[in-house]
Parts: sequence; C-alpha cells; structure tokens
Amino acid sequence: MSSVISISKLAKHYQVPEREAGLIAAAKGLFKRTYKTVKAVDGISFNIQPGEVVGFLGPNGAGKTTTLKMLSGLLHPTSGELSVLGYEPAKRDHDYLRQITLVMGNRNQLSWDLPALDSFDLQRAIYSIPLDEFKHTRDEFIALLDLKDLVQKPVRNLSLGERMKMEIVGALLHKPKILFLDEPTLGLDVTMQKRIRSFVAEYNKRYGATVLLTSHYMADVEALCKRVIVIHHGRLLFDGDLSALVEKFSAFKTVGFTIDTPASDLSQYGDVVSVDGSRVTMRVPKEKTSAVTSRLLNELSVVDLTVESAPIEEVIESVFSVKRETLE
Amino acid sequence: MQGLKLAANYLRIGILNEFQYRANLYIQILQTFIALGTGLIGLNLVFNQVTELGGWTKPELLAVMGVFTITGGFIRSAIQPNMERLMEEIREGTLDYALTKPADAQLLVSVREFRLWQLVDVITGLVVLAVALTQLNWLVSIWSVLGYLSALVMGAIMVYSFWLIITSTAFWFVRVNEIANLFEGLYAAGRWPVDIYPNWLRYGLTFLVPVAFAVTIPASALTGRLSLQTWLGALALTLVLFTIARMIWLTGVKNYSGASA
Repeated sequence: MSSVISISKLAKHYQVPEREAGLIAAAKGLFKRTYKTVKAVDGISFNIQPGEVVGFLGPNGAGKTTTLKMLSGLLHPTSGELSVLGYEPAKRDHDYLRQITLVMGNRNQLSWDLPALDSFDLQRAIYSIPLDEFKHTRDEFIALLDLKDLVQKPVRNLSLGERMKMEIVGALLHKPKILFLDEPTLGLDVTMQKRIRSFVAEYNKRYGATVLLTSHYMADVEALCKRVIVIHHGRLLFDGDLSALVEKFSAFKTVGFTIDTPASDLSQYGDVVSVDGSRVTMRVPKEKTSAVTSRLLNELSVVDLTVESAPIEEVIESVFSVKRETLE
Repeated sequence: MQGLKLAANYLRIGILNEFQYRANLYIQILQTFIALGTGLIGLNLVFNQVTELGGWTKPELLAVMGVFTITGGFIRSAIQPNMERLMEEIREGTLDYALTKPADAQLLVSVREFRLWQLVDVITGLVVLAVALTQLNWLVSIWSVLGYLSALVMGAIMVYSFWLIITSTAFWFVRVNEIANLFEGLYAAGRWPVDIYPNWLRYGLTFLVPVAFAVTIPASALTGRLSLQTWLGALALTLVLFTIARMIWLTGVKNYSGASA
C-alpha cells in the first residue's frame, strides 16, 4: 500500500529576534535587531500508511506542533518534501482541507455562547456536507460520546472534558481521512481521556482514517498507537513499534522476586528499589538481566521471579533527556 | 455560491448569539440616541449662525447625517467586529482553525461576526434620512437613488478594504489595535460633508480613510450633486482598494506562522 503521509528531510527554521533582558537592550532592539535561527524541525523523514494510528512524541519544543502545522498546511516548510494524500499541504487546496482535520487541545473553535448544535451547523456549511449525511454522522458521534443531553447547552456551561468531546465531534463531522490531533486530552481527567481515546479508536476503525496524535499522556499512546515516532530537538529519534521503543531506550529492567530466607547483601545483584517483607524489587541493567536472574535463582532460595520492562513513562523520560549534541 | 451560504450561516449564528445579550440592545439604543442628539444639536447650532455650509443646506446636511449613521451602524455591526476578532486571532495565533477550512480564508474571517444590535443605528439613520428627504420634498430621481445605493455599496467595500489592510498589518506588527482606534476618530469627521474641510484634510480623509466615499458621496447622490465622473472614480477606487487589500491579506497569510509555533 502506498503511504498517505510521506515526509522527507522536512525542515522548518525560524528567524526569531533575540535580545538580552533589560531596558537598554530593548531600546537597542528598536534600531537594530539581531536574529537567531531556531531549527524547530531539522530534517525529519517518515511515511505513514492508510489507517495507521501513530503516536507522535517528543518533549515540549521538540517540533511536534510545527510538524503538524506543516502537515495541515499552516506553515510552509523551509526545505524538504511533504506530501499528504498526494497533495502539497502548504498549497491549502480546498480538496485537501476537506479530507483532513486539525484538533488542538488548547484551542477551541466552537462558539462559546451557543449550544454546540449551532456550531455543528456551521461546520456543515463550511464543508458543504449534504444534510442527510450530516445528520447521520452528527447523531452517530453524539451517541458514541454520550452527548445527547449536552448538545443543547451553551458551550460555556460545559466542563472542560465535555467541551473537548464537542470539539472533536465538530472537527470530525466532515469525516476526514486524516486526523491531526495535537494534545486532544490535555488537562482532562482519566475517565474523560479514556472516552476520547476510545472514540478516536472507534473512528479509526469505522472509517479507516489515519491518525497522527501527540500527547503527553503515555496512556493515550499505549492505548491507541502501535507505532510511535519520537522527535527531539527537531530530529527524528525513533520510528517503530512502541514495544521496540521500550526495548531500545530502557537501560534497565525491573526484577522482582520473593525470597524464603532473608539474604545478607542484595546490592551485589543490582540496585535495590524496595524491600517489602520478603518481596524485593530491583533495577538491573538490561544487558545483565539474564546473568543476574540466573545468579539469583542459583544463590538464593527464590520463590517467584518476574522481569519487567521499565514503565513507558520512564523510558520516554530517558529518551527526552537526550542532549542535542548527541543527535548531531 | 458557497460563499453566500457561509455568510448566511454565520449571520444566523451571529444573530442567535446576540439574542443572548439583550442588555446590549438597550445600551445600543441609548448610545444611538445620545449620538443622534448631539449630532442634531450641533447641526442646529451651526444653522443658527448660517443658512448654508459649504453649499449644503440644512436638510441636505441632515441627509448626510442620516447616511453617516447608517454607514456607521453597518461598519460596527458587520465589518469592525470581524476585523477585531481577526486582529486578536493573529496576535494569539488562533487563526489556524480558519486557515485549515476548505473555504476562502478571507471570506471566512470577514463574515464570522455580526452585531445585530448595532443595526439600531442603521434604522435610526434611515429615519433621519427619511425626515431629511421629506424636508427636501422627496425631489429625488431614480438615478439619484441608484447612485445613492451603488455609492453605499462601494463605500462599504472601501471601508471594508481599508479595515482589512490595517488589520492585515497585524501579521507583521502583531499589535495594531491603536491604528484601528484611529479609524473611528477619522470616521467621525464624516458627520459633515468632506467638501467643507480644507483641501489637504479632504484628500486625506478620502484617500487614507474612505470616509468621503462612505458618507459624502452617497449623500451627494441623493441630493443630486453626484457627477458621473465622480461615480466612475469611486468605482475605480473601490476596485483598486479591494485588490490591494486582497494582496496584502494573501501576503500576510503567507507570512503567518502562528504565535506558538
């Protein structure tokens, strides 16, 4: 199958005015400005196949939003190739825009003072959706997200989570083939996150849509995305299965075991995280895991033993702590 | 016409929105009458001293005031709110949603807002105009009416283009609210026909801020002063201004990169 999104050596550099703090520096800036080039995205390449749900990860300022903005046609790339559904996004062809959607968790587009239903009508006009199809999709989404009692209330009276659900309905009424979701669950509680997540999964399943999602909540990524793309300092750090990411970047494994008789010195085996009665948890360097476990089994009377990968949050944290220089 | 449909939809939403704020209606009525009252007092003070002003008689000046009120109401109900929202969105980087829609972005940002209650001014202006025309014994030809209506439309397009040009500069300068306030001050000069001002100011008002075209020329048409030449000049200027506005807008959008990018 051919890719729906293909990006090759994509870069976006900004010229930003730079000055030191203080009044004198500010006054100087009136006459002569010095600029600094910020490489928000610095040569990334990847392809996404139709129907894929891809997690797009990276710390704040990694270049995720910039990439999403280039994909949705808001920003012109400084260099590199970018093709989505065969279109060049920056041209903002209406036929292209009709097939995509952009949801930003920190910005809303529904009319604040009106019931969401009225804003939905507006979306219908903007996307020229036939009335029957519109009603059908709208009611389907309303049912899926359990919004029936809320669509008639002014948006300002809704909770943050309810509002986000409405935003998502509004953004998907034209049944886009490609979804760019930038932190769709930002600031929501766990239950609400789950609802939104399962809705995105359901939409993906029903309509075979391709989803590129950024999120700070690893639960979102674990639940939705088989594949993740990690960028950092504008560079591509990893592209592959989530499990492979954990494999690649977790330096440690967590070994847990229960022992019959208290052992004198456990620290010779690894880094002891906790001892709870006879239950011991320790961190062991990944490459030493098998050696350590066989030693434990031989030298101590171990009742049961578990080896787990580090939690995904921890892995991501260690990925994000990679310094810029090491990427160059 | 997707554009008209879109505009109609936004108009509907705008009206629905306004019904939520009934108090605004009463405030608007109050404002309109204060403005009208001070305008009428000014007019009377002037005509206590003289019988005509720059070739305009009292009922003719009343007609100018009527047009001034009508056009002002229209600007404040349909043009200004859109441009103010656009300014804010450019500054805050929230224009993204408008730009990712499959519709002409300029059209979209120009029809999103509508202040229904400002139409009180339009109605009041029409009444004032009717009174003025009664005093003039309704001596208006069909040509005058056509000239008047076309001049109103051209004036509206020019004012819109002017606003869009000013607003689009926000793509480069980020904060332009003060420039926008300037418009209101200059527009107030349209209360009087521009011919009564000294030349330098007259041309300034006409070309920098199309006040003359928005107010004086429609009023001239009704009072039988509009020459074909002036009308054609207005038409040409309308087209030029609109084209310039469109070009600046397109360049601005190209330049736009979003505040949080």
